[in-house]
Amino acid sequence: MEFGWSTDQKELRAAVIEFAQNELSAGSRDDDSTGSFPRDKWEKCGAFGIQGLHMPEQYSGSPARDLVTSLYAMDALGYACADNGLTFALNAQMWTVQLPILLFGSEYQKERFLPAMCRGEFIGAHAVTEEHAGSDVYSMHTRAVRCDGGYRLTGRKCYVTCAPIANLALVFAITDPEKGKWGLSVFIVETNSDGCERGPVVEKMGLRTAPFGDLILTDCFVPESNRLGPEGAGLTVSSNALEYERCCILVSQLGAMERQLEQSIEYAKTREQFGRPIGKFQAVSHRLVDMKLRLETSRLLLYQAAWRKQQGENASLDSALVKLHLSESFVASGLDSIRTMGGLGYTSVAEIERSLRDAIGGVLYAGTNDIQRNNAARAMGIR
Amino acid sequence: MRIEKQSIEQLILDFISSELADGTTPAPQDDLLTSGLVDSMGMMWLIQHLEDEFDTAVPPLDVTIENFGTVGAIAAYMSRRLTNSASGVSSQ
Repeated sequence: MEFGWSTDQKELRAAVIEFAQNELSAGSRDDDSTGSFPRDKWEKCGAFGIQGLHMPEQYSGSPARDLVTSLYAMDALGYACADNGLTFALNAQMWTVQLPILLFGSEYQKERFLPAMCRGEFIGAHAVTEEHAGSDVYSMHTRAVRCDGGYRLTGRKCYVTCAPIANLALVFAITDPEKGKWGLSVFIVETNSDGCERGPVVEKMGLRTAPFGDLILTDCFVPESNRLGPEGAGLTVSSNALEYERCCILVSQLGAMERQLEQSIEYAKTREQFGRPIGKFQAVSHRLVDMKLRLETSRLLLYQAAWRKQQGENASLDSALVKLHLSESFVASGLDSIRTMGGLGYTSVAEIERSLRDAIGGVLYAGTNDIQRNNAARAMGIR
Repeated sequence: MRIEKQSIEQLILDFISSELADGTTPAPQDDLLTSGLVDSMGMMWLIQHLEDEFDTAVPPLDVTIENFGTVGAIAAYMSRRLTNSASGVSSQ
């Protein structure tokens, strides 16, 4: 068993941290306050090679990093970039749009969409949820009806990360209602197509720089060449994509937790009350230990799940546990960080309260934590 | 490798009955997913079980209604796959 990182991996981490500190962190508070998507930073990430980390060189321009190394870089990005919304949007595209296209797409689809997403020119969204199909995802209503040369899609997807700004979206739709879950297919919808409308940004509590909203399809023509995999492959694509999503999408929040812990420790060492640093009080130091424990257990779970996936092993239980534990740890540590920093932590100026707001969504997206507990229990043989 | 379709079918039936369907044993031609006997996650576990049992990988895009709709279809697919992989031919 080897827990260390190679020199190459450490150099990559250092480079990502330097890039993020220099290019991505300024202005995050203002962007959060106005709910603005920082497109310039997105493009800088593309130029640096973030979106292309795990993509083969023919699409990204640089050699593909393995899954564990790519996640290590995204962990570093979360540590050094104060904008958790930006890192969340990047992860959403990388693991739930680019990866399914890489795994299931035709060569035409890979050539057409992956290089532009890697460069930061295109933004991709993963559109599966509907108003009445959330946790019960397969009860969706969006239909794709065959027509000459392709399909016509009609339906409304909601709570889609980056929908208001996306150039393309992976849309899950029913092609054959008679076949139930086998009748689900996936389409790459280009959002400038006739009949495709991007809804307005829906205001939300956290991750405010990652715009989300609806994608409305009204008799929208999608050519057959944009169907991802064969007709009926939706079940396989969604199962595969969901497992990657659970394992990977929160990785930058691991880095954010590390940053949050360092800030809290520094504050506890320097803030004095009753004539001594507050860290000398066990009520405070124990809280910091709890934060450290959550960080390290989340880290171990995440890299174990990623390692398993990299070996081609089943990681359904591991992925459920990562998603569950990391998201709940980020919420708990966000609250502990504010408790440690007191009144200052509660203000927007300290930029600590934002991480707590950013953390809350994690217990909901990528499959709610209630569902993750169900999945984990079943994987443990408890029905 | 030559494994009888019938023995694969029994292995699948046993797994569904004991692990996925609370003791209910489907008929070989029952539609697993649309009947609700097995849900989507259960289907993925069944596939994992078959991969472990027969030391083979099922390509994700082979997971279609034609190959995995019923116990009989799965057994036929696996039998084909194992025979073909022994002779170096695709199962599709």
